[in-house]
Amino acid sequence: MPLFRWGLALADSSGRTSGSNAALATVTSLPSLDERVLVSEAQAGNRAAFEELVRRFDRDVLRLALNLMKRPEDARDVYQEAFLKVYRNLHRFRFECSFYTWLYRIVTNVCLDHLRRRQARPEDQAPEIHPNRMEEGPRDFFDYQKEHRPALDPERTLFGKEIQARISRAMERLSPRERIVFEMKHYQGLKLRAIGDALGTTEETVKNSLFRATRKLRSELAGLR
Amino acid sequence: MSNAPKLARCEDVAPLLVFYTCDELTAEERGQIEAHLANCGECRQQLSEEDALHSAIDEMPQPADRLESSGVLLAQCRSELSESLDELSAPKVDEGWQPFGFVRQWMALRPGWSAAALLLVGAIVGTQAFQWLPFSTGASTGSPVNVLAASKISDDQLSKMEVSGVNFSRPGGTIQVQLQAEQPLTLTSGEDDADVRRVLTFVISNSDRFDAGVRLDCVEALRAAAMDPQARGALLAAARRDQNPAVRLKALDALRDVVANADVRDVLLETLQRDPNPGVRVEAVNLLVRSLESSDDAPEALPDVVGPDSSPDGVALPSLPAAGKDSEQRILRALDELRQHDSNRYVRLRSAAALRQIGLQNLQ
Repeated sequence: MPLFRWGLALADSSGRTSGSNAALATVTSLPSLDERVLVSEAQAGNRAAFEELVRRFDRDVLRLALNLMKRPEDARDVYQEAFLKVYRNLHRFRFECSFYTWLYRIVTNVCLDHLRRRQARPEDQAPEIHPNRMEEGPRDFFDYQKEHRPALDPERTLFGKEIQARISRAMERLSPRERIVFEMKHYQGLKLRAIGDALGTTEETVKNSLFRATRKLRSELAGLR
Repeated sequence: MSNAPKLARCEDVAPLLVFYTCDELTAEERGQIEAHLANCGECRQQLSEEDALHSAIDEMPQPADRLESSGVLLAQCRSELSESLDELSAPKVDEGWQPFGFVRQWMALRPGWSAAALLLVGAIVGTQAFQWLPFSTGASTGSPVNVLAASKISDDQLSKMEVSGVNFSRPGGTIQVQLQAEQPLTLTSGEDDADVRRVLTFVISNSDRFDAGVRLDCVEALRAAAMDPQARGALLAAARRDQNPAVRLKALDALRDVVANADVRDVLLETLQRDPNPGVRVEAVNLLVRSLESSDDAPEALPDVVGPDSSPDGVALPSLPAAGKDSEQRILRALDELRQHDSNRYVRLRSAAALRQIGLQNLQ
């Protein structure tokens, strides 16, 4: 442990732009450090350790933000706001849960705030980017020709696209909390218990949110059966 | 604890099918549901619908796949975060104690009210405060103060300027000085008296920078202001040091009306003794005679230092008085010295004539 501490201190004092080999070696060794050590170092003011923590989780955070907000600029705002909150409040983290859970609690709260703000003032918001609708794009002659390959049966493809479009529409009608629960369950692959921890609520409440969200989606798809 | 299955009825099983699909049930719950599904076609149908929905959701393209396929957004986010962290990590500027900080903050947030408040305070101070001040209680006892308008030209401009011309308008006595500086400027006496005087004295005092014609014009222009100590000082300096005899002569002439002043007399004496140009020395003699004529304290008798036969042209000179004020004594001695030893005959003659003139005056 003292060796790790020495390495981190060196990396921090030399900064990210340092060109010295020693500093570079210590910076590159950061990814191998235990999460708990990194958090402790970050809490002690080690900037390099904090940035390593960010790198470990920010891909998932940005993905969650993009799926929920559906606009890159909003996702960027969520990313910034969330990690700055983490940075400012890191000293309050007491290792009572995993850092990942604590981080997601902050991220989901920021997302909820943004979604609620968007719901409250829809006129201020730019339209969301819908992947399905964008994929359709301008059609040309070849789009309407019969596909002979069985895997690409146009009728089936069309039906699948219709289902996805309806799911997208139904998702827009979900409440911010239902939307987050649905997103974290289906696209982040989290267990309901972990989602509850992240949202600061019970597993039962998360179950209810997921159940309501699924019912809304099913009602949207009812006519297609 | 009963061994009977809890999830035997369809209404109990149906709400759990969502979680069955998501694999969010305990092993016991899963076993009970699977037992029910084996005997219930309706619930199996519902489960297949749940599976279909689950598959459709899984197959749906996620916005993140499309919006962040290149990794550019993530790089941008990291870069922005790093900048924000730099700002947060930067040491705070210690602003220290700021007097009236609250008032300043209040005023910054309410500019309209602040303006109104300041006007009110200004009006109150303007109308009331002077009554309480000690100097406003009685009549003014201080000496009058000349308040001059702000100068149009700075010292820096003055040092870089060129004078393109000095024009005189005789009827009105107006003087116009045209300057070539970074920004050409015309100064007119009456409107810019102080600046005109400044420029003229600057030109005369810096004879090496301006040509003799301009210097002559400036000396002429300053003639009217010879009573002013600053202008007189410049004229005296020109008379003493200008390399051009015409300018020195002109400067002496400009001092004609103030020859009674001690500083002028000193310069005249110096000119008399040191000026290399005979014409200038003669003018100095003339002015010294004039100074003695205009002075009330002219010597009553010439000192007896000059012998009757010592005149170059054999003119008998009055005796110099034994007593007299220092300056007059010095003038007479200087004139006598000139009369005897000046290299120029005309100067010697003019000095002798001056001494005679002074003597006759005193005899009368």
